[in-house]
Amino acid sequence: MKEMIRYGFILSLICVIAAGLLAGVNVLTRSKIAAQIQAEEQAALKEVMPTAARFSEVKPDANKEVLYYKAFDNQDKLIGFVFKASGKGYSSVIETLVGVFLDQKISAIKVISQNETPGLGAKITENKFRDQFRNRDSLDISGVQAVSGATISSRAVIISVMKKAREIRELIKNER
Amino acid sequence: MKNLIKEFTKGIIKENPTFVLILGLCPTLAVSVSVANGIGMGIAATFVLLGSSLIVSLVRDFIPDKIRIPCYIVIIATFVTIAEFCMKAYSPVLDRALGIYVPLIVVNCIVLGRAEAFACKNNFSRSFFDGLGMGVGFTLALILISAIREFLGSGQILGHTLIKGFEPVFVFGMPSGALLVIGLLLGFFNILKNRKS
Repeated sequence: MKEMIRYGFILSLICVIAAGLLAGVNVLTRSKIAAQIQAEEQAALKEVMPTAARFSEVKPDANKEVLYYKAFDNQDKLIGFVFKASGKGYSSVIETLVGVFLDQKISAIKVISQNETPGLGAKITENKFRDQFRNRDSLDISGVQAVSGATISSRAVIISVMKKAREIRELIKNER
Repeated sequence: MKNLIKEFTKGIIKENPTFVLILGLCPTLAVSVSVANGIGMGIAATFVLLGSSLIVSLVRDFIPDKIRIPCYIVIIATFVTIAEFCMKAYSPVLDRALGIYVPLIVVNCIVLGRAEAFACKNNFSRSFFDGLGMGVGFTLALILISAIREFLGSGQILGHTLIKGFEPVFVFGMPSGALLVIGLLLGFFNILKNRKS
């Protein structure tokens, strides 16, 4: 019995020290991590909408996830929207960031998360595939060449982008 | 001093964790797709190994034998979490590439193995060099495997294309390719060892 208490005490002591140390490291790195996430998000937005100077989030509720972003140019004029589309690919859920202009033409896309087969499906992240989306109608994408050997991954991107674009169009219509 | 150097170098060749002790193969299989990942994983694991070896050897008289494993796990997990925070704050790209394998260093058998087999029986300075040697050995092994895999699997080294027009062999980018490379390297090192003796 006495031994049990002693072991419990030693183990808790170690845990308390470890927790204290981690709390300290957390305080030191927390703001940096938040800034990194923010910077990464801004960089990704900028990549699919290079002409925009500023983005603003559109949320249904303060605590809910972002529905889409509005993109403004340097004269603060609305020039387009950025949204995130996701669809099931061959071996993972593929998330794509899409920038569209006001006339629904695609500015650019960027695959931000995927875990497709390396060398095949994973090629959807390459410029050769991405650049084909430029200036196409986001509501009716046609003529995009699938990555050879990776039809499922390629179609997942195309269809998810198109589906999300139609959803977003409804939302934007209500707003205007 | 000579002893300390020996503790350091044994982890690199004679007791290399990957090729001789065959420990920690799970992260090795998973992250050795590119040299950059290999180096990142190696540095993170070396940091954890060093930290946990140091602390374990310092508190070895204080920890009762019966509860040593949970104590070691807490110490190791603390260092892993510190490494993860730092990676998220200073190198988010690497953090995303390594993903779940950073927190999984906690259960990397090299780390617990060294705490259990070496640091709990040896003093502070010897444990330090043992941990450093093992970490460097693990990192070098990872770099070797990932260099072969990155070259064959995507035709690149550290993101630079070496030979124009080289058609990559996809299998080397996948876990099965990692098993092939590790198996062949193991065989190669065994042949070398047998030749020597």
